[in-house]
Amino acid sequence: MGLKEVNITGPKVAFRIFGLNVTETVILSWCVIAVITGLILFMTHNMSKTNPSKKQIVAEWIVQIFTNMVKDSMGSINLRYTPYMATIFMFSICGSLISLLGLRPVTGDYSTTLAWALITFVMIIHAKIKNDGLGGYLIGFTKPIIVLTPINVISEVATPVSMSIRHFGNIASGIVITQLLYFALTMVSNAIGLDFPIFTIGVPAVLSVYFDLFTGFMQAFVFTMLTMANVGSAYPEPEN
Amino acid sequence: MLDFLSIDTGTIVLTLLNTLILFLVVKHFLFGRVNKILEERQADVTKTYEEADKAKEKAKALEADYTELMAKAKDESAEIVKNATKKAQVHSDEIISNAKAEANSIISRANDDIEHERQRTMNEMMNEISGIAAMMAEKIIKKEINQADHEALINDFIENVGDDVWQQK
Repeated sequence: MGLKEVNITGPKVAFRIFGLNVTETVILSWCVIAVITGLILFMTHNMSKTNPSKKQIVAEWIVQIFTNMVKDSMGSINLRYTPYMATIFMFSICGSLISLLGLRPVTGDYSTTLAWALITFVMIIHAKIKNDGLGGYLIGFTKPIIVLTPINVISEVATPVSMSIRHFGNIASGIVITQLLYFALTMVSNAIGLDFPIFTIGVPAVLSVYFDLFTGFMQAFVFTMLTMANVGSAYPEPEN
Repeated sequence: MLDFLSIDTGTIVLTLLNTLILFLVVKHFLFGRVNKILEERQADVTKTYEEADKAKEKAKALEADYTELMAKAKDESAEIVKNATKKAQVHSDEIISNAKAEANSIISRANDDIEHERQRTMNEMMNEISGIAAMMAEKIIKKEINQADHEALINDFIENVGDDVWQQK
């Protein structure tokens, strides 16, 4: 009954294809996508114009809530971003909440949040170029004075980096704390001479409400809102 | 097994691909379908409102027509009543004047008759009187010869006055 080591690792590599690692994260992402797709197909199946069913009302509610969110934070001209924002929010929240099932959260892998942040980064640059033109975008770095150019470049890159690290950090800390807690509770169980780690039943559930549910929802929301705010301010609605 | 904090190209590429797939699903199956329904419903609502407005306008037009017709009918009926009254007045006037004329003619005829009768009676009376006078004269002339005859004549006359001699004539 010696002191065991806490071993917190990254995702396992399931197999390799075309020289790319297919990790636990990717496989769980496929599961998440399958579940979300199934839910969407179920909700939007057999929709009625005049007599909507409960699932259709939920689908309409989701669509409208995202549409209103995008309209409020990005303006009506950026409404076409709505499906992407909904995608990233649903992917993120479901990817985080699979930890409730004892699975490794998809968002607890820095590669995932970095990929999303890269999409946001590209979207911001695209919006800025669309708004100011390529020249205008590049000249924008030298403002207000040319000496600040390196700092402007850093701040441009800092946006996706901070977004991805924030999301990853919050979820990953949840993983770490949960594992430490399990380890600690097992130790306590062992200390009072029980082979079965009785304390691991029930106690982690309380913390899980915060680390999995609250953080998962919060980070999905924050990531989506930041994407909307950054892309929206890069391509603002023309003032009348 | 990757490190806890690792950047793995495979995961990034596959996550980008996964996100794209999910994006297409969300865009097409969730937003596409729901927005289509919402638009159709919006179109229906707009259409319903338009139809309601149209129906309202139609009703208003009908009401105006109806009011106009009613006013016209009222005028017409008033005219008819007026005409009828006028006609009746004329008719009654005619009847009255006819009646008056007839009455007048009856009265005048009656007057004529009366006059005629009076004349006739007068003539008769005159004839009678003259007859009587002649008779008397005859009698007087016949009985002038003597007193006795005279007296007898008078007596006879007096006797005969209330008798059928008078009345037979």
